[in-house]
Amino acid sequence: MIPVNVVTGFLGSGKTTLLKEVLSRPEFSDTAVIVNEFGEVGLDHILLEEVSEGVLLLDSGCLCCTIRSDLQETIRELYDRAKRGEIPEFRRVVVETTGLADPTPVVSTIVAEPVISKHFRTGNIICTVEALAGTDTLARHPEAIKQVAVADRILVTKCDLADTSQIETLEDNVDKINPTAATSRGSGEGFDADALFALDLDDDVSRQEEVSRWLDAEVHDHDHEHDHHHDGIDHIEIGDTGSFVLRYDLPIDWTAFGVWLTALLHAHGERVLRVKGILNVAESDRPVVINGVQHVVHPPLHLRQWPTEDHTSRIVFITQGISEARIRNSLSLFLSAVAA
Amino acid sequence: MCGLCGLLGQVHWTDTSAHPAAFTDDRRRTFRAERARRVAVVNAALKPYRMKVSDFEATNYVLSTATGGRAIVDDVQAVWGKVDDFLGRPVDPLDPDWLEAIQATRDR
Repeated sequence: MIPVNVVTGFLGSGKTTLLKEVLSRPEFSDTAVIVNEFGEVGLDHILLEEVSEGVLLLDSGCLCCTIRSDLQETIRELYDRAKRGEIPEFRRVVVETTGLADPTPVVSTIVAEPVISKHFRTGNIICTVEALAGTDTLARHPEAIKQVAVADRILVTKCDLADTSQIETLEDNVDKINPTAATSRGSGEGFDADALFALDLDDDVSRQEEVSRWLDAEVHDHDHEHDHHHDGIDHIEIGDTGSFVLRYDLPIDWTAFGVWLTALLHAHGERVLRVKGILNVAESDRPVVINGVQHVVHPPLHLRQWPTEDHTSRIVFITQGISEARIRNSLSLFLSAVAA
Repeated sequence: MCGLCGLLGQVHWTDTSAHPAAFTDDRRRTFRAERARRVAVVNAALKPYRMKVSDFEATNYVLSTATGGRAIVDDVQAVWGKVDDFLGRPVDPLDPDWLEAIQATRDR
């Protein structure tokens, strides 16, 4: 399966600079790049395709099946041409979104499009946030909050131009929106491309580390509660976007859970920005990893072992305006009501 | 579902049989038993709306309404879209009235 990375980030946050530097490396030379527009910073790459946004709704008609028709055609064509020998074979695809774009339809195109999903899988979603203007951008633009919320990797860019307190405030705000993403700093060059692009849930070892970081969100949750009481950090208003970790003590009936989550995401997927977690399910002796972006849920994976002695199911939700209590109450009542 | 998608065998993330690496325990339901369980759970969820689903040849589900409406869907996710069409609004798992109704159905 060929991984597809999404590079998102607000206008001027350094997406193209990141790509330009990473794509110049030999290990990324067999990457196909799809951009929405040829920007001012020219990308000089052998496999570069431009798309213009178009949206297609699949027959089932729900939002989870929103396919970007432009992307669908481009990815299919790239694959076809590579197989026919017209262009070099590629081992990775990177899609760069526009600064105002919602990255979720890119993910749903990879996961829900019948042909593409057979040959491609989603890799990390990387979001660039600019150190100088990032806090202000998050405060003013809900698009930027969403980009951060759905990301797996956050790269704080232009750190050489900002002072430490600016960077730390931004990182703190980013962490409040999405404590599950790995955040790193960049200054225009020397990016850790492996950590950003290559190491993801597909790899057994990375998966173990990745899930452990998600579960750390629980600790962050408590830290933030603590922060509000006494510190004077310049926190921005991030609207009603926030995260919480839902714990469920009993082994979960996976089939019932699937029914509940699909119904929840159908009704509220616009406001459930991410669902990630580790489940203790009755149907498996290994922990099962779930990972969803809005209406789209990736195929479940497993961990070889539990990260700690704690075998409780823990699900991280990043939501807009939906409280932990409502979701916890709903899951708990539903599972008990349909218990076999 | 068109013939091509059927041929390609689209799988849904909720199907344990399609993800054997993640579901390893002997207690994992067989393909048919899992579908039967899913039908039972969905029907519990739909009971307040007097709708139900049934398995169709282990490939699709048929959604039926009390007023004679019928639709064939591919998977559990598509069930909710079609229910939405019939009801004119989604089934909302966060709705306290719905949660109360499915509990009452079980207690009865």
